[in-house]
Amino acid sequence: MSWKPEADDLARRHAYAENLGGPEAVAKHHSQGRLTIRERIAGLCDSSSFQEVGKLTGKGTYENGELKSVVPAPYVMGLAKIDGRPVAIGGEDFTVRGGTSWGSDRRKGGQGGFVEDLAHEYRIPLVNLIDGAGGTVTSAARRGHTVFPGVHGFERSVQLMSEVPVVSAVMGTAAGGPAGRAILSHWSVMVKGTSQVFAAGPPVVERSLGQKIHKEDLGGAQIAVDQAGTIDNAAENETDCFAMIRRYLSYMPSNVWELPPVVDTGDAPDRRDEGLLTIVPRERRQPYNMRKLLGMIIDRDSAFEIQPTYGRAVITSLARMNGKVVGVIANNPMVNGGAMDVKAARKQTHFVQLCDTFHIPIVFLVDVPGFMVGLQAEQAATLREGMKSVYTALQATVPMLTVVIRKCYGMAGMGTTDKNGLDFKIAWPSAEWGSLPVEGGASAAFKREIESAPDPKARLAEIEADLRRFASPLLTAEAFAVEDVIDPRDTRPYLCRFIDAMQGRLATTVGQKLRAGVCP
Amino acid sequence: MARQEIRSEITGSVWKVLVQPGAKVGPDDPLLILESMKMEIPVTAEVDATVVEVTVKEGEALNEGALLAVVET
Repeated sequence: MSWKPEADDLARRHAYAENLGGPEAVAKHHSQGRLTIRERIAGLCDSSSFQEVGKLTGKGTYENGELKSVVPAPYVMGLAKIDGRPVAIGGEDFTVRGGTSWGSDRRKGGQGGFVEDLAHEYRIPLVNLIDGAGGTVTSAARRGHTVFPGVHGFERSVQLMSEVPVVSAVMGTAAGGPAGRAILSHWSVMVKGTSQVFAAGPPVVERSLGQKIHKEDLGGAQIAVDQAGTIDNAAENETDCFAMIRRYLSYMPSNVWELPPVVDTGDAPDRRDEGLLTIVPRERRQPYNMRKLLGMIIDRDSAFEIQPTYGRAVITSLARMNGKVVGVIANNPMVNGGAMDVKAARKQTHFVQLCDTFHIPIVFLVDVPGFMVGLQAEQAATLREGMKSVYTALQATVPMLTVVIRKCYGMAGMGTTDKNGLDFKIAWPSAEWGSLPVEGGASAAFKREIESAPDPKARLAEIEADLRRFASPLLTAEAFAVEDVIDPRDTRPYLCRFIDAMQGRLATTVGQKLRAGVCP
Repeated sequence: MARQEIRSEITGSVWKVLVQPGAKVGPDDPLLILESMKMEIPVTAEVDATVVEVTVKEGEALNEGALLAVVET
């Protein structure tokens, strides 16, 4: 008496599931540089950590009550571990019916479904490996009626945004629902050359607008990542993509009720980099390499840039200081002189919300002359997007530390300090601030005096020199209107002490955050 | 030998043109200096290259994405 026949039957059914769309379809998929969902999960997660759920789901064919074959459901999902921590993970397999959705009784995943319920109930990160075409018109014929949009809706997906880290990787061509699913994430990534994302693909675009366009030109990484910022980062290939997902999650807590993991990075908190003394040119019109500068301050090789190719006037990077996770927001003087344009504003808004949600303290490295100016900037609504980023920063409650490297002017400068907390801001000797710079300001304010002088040019220079005397950050420090002016080499030790000291406070304020009101 | 277009990553104007067609440049050598938001922004080819053509003049206003030069790598 044993259940061996049933166990053998299960093993046979599992083999059908592992077969996916069959060897031919899988070989074709591989030849395009793409992996199956099972290979992706194995490549991303800790070895042998995948506990699949719903492996029997599919459509069986029977003859006289005998099972002949099973076409497995395209969606594969379950529980796995990444760096020893549990995650809920799932994705469509393109080799099975192009990864189209499956009319099972209970949805497995994709938009809501078991895998998203699992992330919600167990408070563990959700990883979406998206490679599906979404709905198919054939389902209407099967059901006998069409389905109202959102019946398998995004309500759980939206809820997860305030609970657990959600990562989406676009691993193929995603249009409609799957594309929307990718956006509803804390961080998204796509693979250069083999993945595209858009509201609708080339056939729909041609029907609707008469435009003929290739899918790569419509929604490849160059459009979706570099130009539009629809997806955050681009990976070179699928293996690189898995490494990036693991790296991103290493900075994240498992949920908003916990703090991110602390690791020993082996970099001394009191390290003083000599390069910091010379990196900012004395000539105010000359820019410098802000990425290099921030690299000297954070733990060695700990930077993971979010949206590195979009909104490049600001750099947003996860990083570590004395092993603790921080979010660095640094203006980039090489692009628009660091002025905040629409793209930079959007990027900063998203990053501040990300850090605030997961209790990741923010370090501002400030060199911002203000919002971007000019007709193009006004047409693009820089003022509105810029104020949105200021609003988000002023609403955030996570601790922020501000280091003014050079310029801190105007409204963009306003959004760089911890107004709901310690309001702690220190400056380098190269720092300057105010409502507007002395140049231009002096010739306007002292117009008559300059014009009536025997040598107007000399008088203007005198006035400017006179005003610039007040521009020294040391005078502001004497009035304790800035908390300190420091030797640039002391930046890392100074910040590390404050980041260490705030850990207790962070532990007492975990949990979900309420963001009331209307963002402009 | 591949031709490569150097485009402006910023909105601003051309402050200085530093190279002529035929000039050989290294990855960090500036081809031009742009001016934007009162800052002088150097533009490099980022690789070893020979300048084929500079398509802008000093003082010219630029939008993001404007063609600045063509180099051969």
